[in-house]
Amino acid sequence: MSRALAACDGAVLVVDASQGIEAQTIANVHQALDHKLKIVPVVNKIDLPQANPELVREEIEKVIGLPAESVIFASARQGIGTKEILEAVVREVPPPTGDREAPLRALIFDAKFDAYRGVVTYVRVLEGTLRKGVRILMMQTGKSFEVDEVGIFRPERTVIEDLSAGEVGYLIANIRNVRDSRVGDTVTDAARPAATPLPGYRHVTPMVFAGLFPTDTEQYQQLKEALEKLQLNDAALVYEPETSAALGFGFRCGFLGLLHMEIVQERLEREFNLTLLGTAPTVEYRVKLRNGEEVPVDNPDHLPDPAEIESISEPMVTATIVVPSAYVGNMMELSQERRGQFLNMEYEPGDRVLITYRMPLAEIIHDYYDQLKSRSKGYASLDYELVGFEEASLVKLDVLVGGSPVDALSMIVERSKAQQQGRRLTEKLKTLIPRQLFEVPIQAAIGGKIVARETVPAMRKDVTAKCYGGDVTRKRKLLEKQKEGKKRLKRVGNVEIPQEAFMAVLSLD
Amino acid sequence: MERISSLYLHVPFCTWLCKYCDFNAYAVLEGLIPQYVEALAGEIEAQKARLPVGPLETVFIGGGTPSLLTREQLRLLLDRVRAIGLRQDAEVTLEANPSNVTAERVEGWLELGINRLSIGVQSLQPGALRFLERLHSGVEAIEAIRTARAAGFRNINGDLLYGVPGVDLSGWMETLETVIDEGIDHLSAYELTVEQGTRLGQEVRTGLVRMPDADSQLEQYWAAVDRLEAAGFVHYEISNWARPGRTCRHNLANWHYRPYLGCGAGAHSMFRLDEGTTERRWNVKGPHAYIKRIAQGQDAADDREQLSHDRALGEAAMIGVRLMGGTPTTGNFLDVRRQLVESGLLIARLRPLPSRARISRRAGRPSRGSARR
Repeated sequence: MSRALAACDGAVLVVDASQGIEAQTIANVHQALDHKLKIVPVVNKIDLPQANPELVREEIEKVIGLPAESVIFASARQGIGTKEILEAVVREVPPPTGDREAPLRALIFDAKFDAYRGVVTYVRVLEGTLRKGVRILMMQTGKSFEVDEVGIFRPERTVIEDLSAGEVGYLIANIRNVRDSRVGDTVTDAARPAATPLPGYRHVTPMVFAGLFPTDTEQYQQLKEALEKLQLNDAALVYEPETSAALGFGFRCGFLGLLHMEIVQERLEREFNLTLLGTAPTVEYRVKLRNGEEVPVDNPDHLPDPAEIESISEPMVTATIVVPSAYVGNMMELSQERRGQFLNMEYEPGDRVLITYRMPLAEIIHDYYDQLKSRSKGYASLDYELVGFEEASLVKLDVLVGGSPVDALSMIVERSKAQQQGRRLTEKLKTLIPRQLFEVPIQAAIGGKIVARETVPAMRKDVTAKCYGGDVTRKRKLLEKQKEGKKRLKRVGNVEIPQEAFMAVLSLD
Repeated sequence: MERISSLYLHVPFCTWLCKYCDFNAYAVLEGLIPQYVEALAGEIEAQKARLPVGPLETVFIGGGTPSLLTREQLRLLLDRVRAIGLRQDAEVTLEANPSNVTAERVEGWLELGINRLSIGVQSLQPGALRFLERLHSGVEAIEAIRTARAAGFRNINGDLLYGVPGVDLSGWMETLETVIDEGIDHLSAYELTVEQGTRLGQEVRTGLVRMPDADSQLEQYWAAVDRLEAAGFVHYEISNWARPGRTCRHNLANWHYRPYLGCGAGAHSMFRLDEGTTERRWNVKGPHAYIKRIAQGQDAADDREQLSHDRALGEAAMIGVRLMGGTPTTGNFLDVRRQLVESGLLIARLRPLPSRARISRRAGRPSRGSARR
């Protein structure tokens, strides 16, 4: 979103006439305003029977601060308002100001990989002119390429002669490696380079971290390549190799938020045909050591020895919830349970309440959103913004399965809740870990002290099913596969732990 | 190659595919039966020329629902079987759906030389039969046993399923008691197993059906073990019981790791090649493809797999541990046993599990205190 906003001069804000303003609407408007964009407000879907355009218009003025009379009513389906929107764009959005004759400066705001043409780089030209045959220079990476094709989107790619100051389009230049066309980089003319690159993008900081491991160790290389490809047009995705004693080789990935994490995992599995095991997401803690050093910790298992820790700080957010007034009580109760500090509450037109809380990000990523939705019958919307770090009393909760610690199940929890969390976690894991041929104790420990224990009883039977001709081959293959599997699982104390178990820490309430 | 004295014939047609079944069976292809029987007869004849097969000690006609075949169709198949060579005292089994067991049919089966009938009773509880999508009632199943017995069958098996959702211990015991009272000679009682790719599998995965937990399934199993033992049955395989002298010779041959020939769509065979190698091969699964292959004079085998000595031993042991008589202790196994004893891994010889194996059973019983240490 932020990247696209940087490539424009104006934005059309489309609000659903039946849904009204949601928390994300407000967040996106703020981003657009930060980029000094001219906003054209539109209320769409006014043809729906449950639409209330007048009310939404009032909301836009009240909540977003755009004058009610500037709001255009539209129905894309019935073609109402289209002309008015186009005219408003022409009237309101300022024309580009760049000099067509100046040295080329074009901002890369997106890129796609085309199997036949290589990287297709999406650019906005701010100064100068970009045309076919020109030798370009990527100012950050220093790589140089000859332009094969330039074009615009209408909305499919359409070849044109040149792209000049103010225009948005694409370039193809036989770029093979996705890393050579970085989003945020500036394209200039190699023969007549610009003096300084464009400011590019504020470096986006990932807020949510999780380990991604291929269930089949042979897919490690594929996962690595898939992450590289995704990162091409997703600058917010960061990753580095990680080794887990329990899960083998994988990557620690950083995401903007939970939605981003889900999308990335989904894309990896669907578009790249990988089978992944993801650990529960965590936030990045800042740990101050007794020797004065401060270290970031984005993996609970990497938390230093408590004896070395002076203090731990956790990221805090301002959470904005928009909800019908009937659910305000539920929302407040939930937020208080999650260590939220109440900040503000505003009643808006249309029976809508805007509530803001200051709360630890760690609480939000632990199924807060799901709870928010379920406790408001789906009406609540949420947006959150990082506001800084705050010291908290936190400890690491370790989980031992069959006597062996499972690093990927460790979590960082508030000290006062730790024992209770440990009990809930072991109870939950007991239902998720399948029976083995032997009893499997599941223990939760804080600093070596066991605080909770459950036992998965041993498997009672395994051979009562039929065993005729074809079953023999099938059974033998199954046994051989299990034997193979056991080699890999030895590191988890011989116990097979399914994906759901790693997610158990997310929903302990 | 070791001589083959067991033959399996597969008839992959059913009136209805029960939702738990993962056998190679088809419900809407009954129109193919005449062509299929021709092909099957053709395969038996062709295999006779290719393989060292016969005289046969056991023949098993399974499915699917082979009781759908007419007397003439069965006659054609059995004529071809006799051409291979069928011992005077051979065991010839036909699997039958209770709905097909009429006095007229039963007479015909006996006349053709079929001397063992395996009836798919599954359950006598109306709820279970509905759940399993069986098209017959409990009463019909009992009728089927009586009809077969009255006509002269002296070796009747009943297939039963336990651990069926909605059937508690008393319901299961009721089914078992009734079948015992009918004077059944042999019982195969299998736990209802959820197989992937079946409709039951789908229903369990989506949460529509919840299977009974392992402990209650096991409770039904042990109750059957006790009851059948008291009724005088010999528990000879983990899920099979027989009145003395009525064990299934065909299945025992398979379980004792003796070679067998399987004919028909998707049928599996196992051969012992001269080099001591074991070969498993299986025919193409689809009836259309099978008919075409045979019609073109081709071998119906879809794929084959040769097992090394070690793997074959592993397989034999895997099957053998299910038998109360243990693994065979002849041939290749003697060497292995000696090695195990010499290396201290095996203390004495493998002994048949005593019929009243109290120690192992008590440890497996949920209801008795000793299971919880």
